Amino acid sequence: MKDRLEKFVQDNREEFDVFEPRPELWQHICHDLPKQSPEKEARVIKVNFGERASFSADFFFMRVAAAIVLLLGCGLTIFLMKQQAPDTTNTLAAATSINAIAPELPEVEAYYVSQIEAKKSELSEYDLKVLGLDEQQVIDKELARLDSSYVQLKKQLYTTPNTDEIVGALIQNLQIRIKVLNRQLEVLQSLEQNKQEPNQEPQNDDTSNV
Amino acid sequence: MEKLGYQDVNHQVVERCKGGDHRAQYELYKLYSKAMFNVSMRITNDYTEAEDVLQEAFLSAFKNMHNYKGEASFGSWLKKIVINAAINAVRKRRSELVPMDERTVADVPDEITEDDSEWQVEQVRRAIQKLPDGYRVVLSLYLLEGYDHAEIGEVLNITESTSKSQYSRARKKLLEIMREPQFVA
Repeated sequence: MKDRLEKFVQDNREEFDVFEPRPELWQHICHDLPKQSPEKEARVIKVNFGERASFSADFFFMRVAAAIVLLLGCGLTIFLMKQQAPDTTNTLAAATSINAIAPELPEVEAYYVSQIEAKKSELSEYDLKVLGLDEQQVIDKELARLDSSYVQLKKQLYTTPNTDEIVGALIQNLQIRIKVLNRQLEVLQSLEQNKQEPNQEPQNDDTSNV
Repeated sequence: MEKLGYQDVNHQVVERCKGGDHRAQYELYKLYSKAMFNVSMRITNDYTEAEDVLQEAFLSAFKNMHNYKGEASFGSWLKKIVINAAINAVRKRRSELVPMDERTVADVPDEITEDDSEWQVEQVRRAIQKLPDGYRVVLSLYLLEGYDHAEIGEVLNITESTSKSQYSRARKKLLEIMREPQFVA
């Protein structure tokens, strides 16, 4: 038979736990813990950065250090991506010396490059920040990736006998770029429409009120 | 059933702890520190002391991880360490924990008419804190930590019947405290 007090406590058990230790208590506990066994530590060093090993006792420091390293890595990657992106046209333009191997390529290339340039200038008319869109980095990344595979394909063009296949791949590469840019344009256009709609709505309301 | 599942959830972390993995230890600490701190707090009734007990208990648990064989859930294994550490701390502070002096409770009437007014958790919790050490420990172990009188007898080194009578006195005293003017309000 459960009495009333027992039942009350049981029903509200969670609410009785109102206290919390100070957050820094873990540091004290950690400080007194025995050092991790050597092979465990070695694994940490191997997976992560060497300099972190000496601070392995300080768990929070490690977390902060890891966050900083990650941020720096991301920042550097984005910086490199941004630098690479403007090079696209240069590498495409350099393709003219290729006449002997694939005579039709320069012409096709010029056509697509002009298309890509047109799309790019169209894109640049949109103010990305105003539209609240920061996708440009993703696009730049994608274009940079395409660009690097384009350069590789071109190198192969000189060494591989099967030029038709590679020329096909090169053209496909250029077409994908245009697709990517087109998709971005579509997104921006629909975004702009959405932005304009709320502006129009109040006007509609006004007229209906009148 | 629930306990089994709980045990399984922690199994891997516990295994990594046995190897001295600090991250696994921190995971267990995050998972249990609050509950264990409240256990410690109820027994010691002192914030600083409760923290010392928590620190001591976790260190002892991590050092003696190899003794945990998984017969009970990790939580109840850890709780036992916390309770023992907390009781030791109270014993160090006050020579006699249990039993209470019989005379101080002799005049408590046997039949207390339990008022039907609604209890509040906060009201009950504060009333428990106001109990003398011996009462508070037995009552907390029984009501909140879910220990039976045999287990309480074991950890406090008293007989089962002493635990029972101590609990019923503690319970009476608790209801008395809750009827005091500042608690009724």
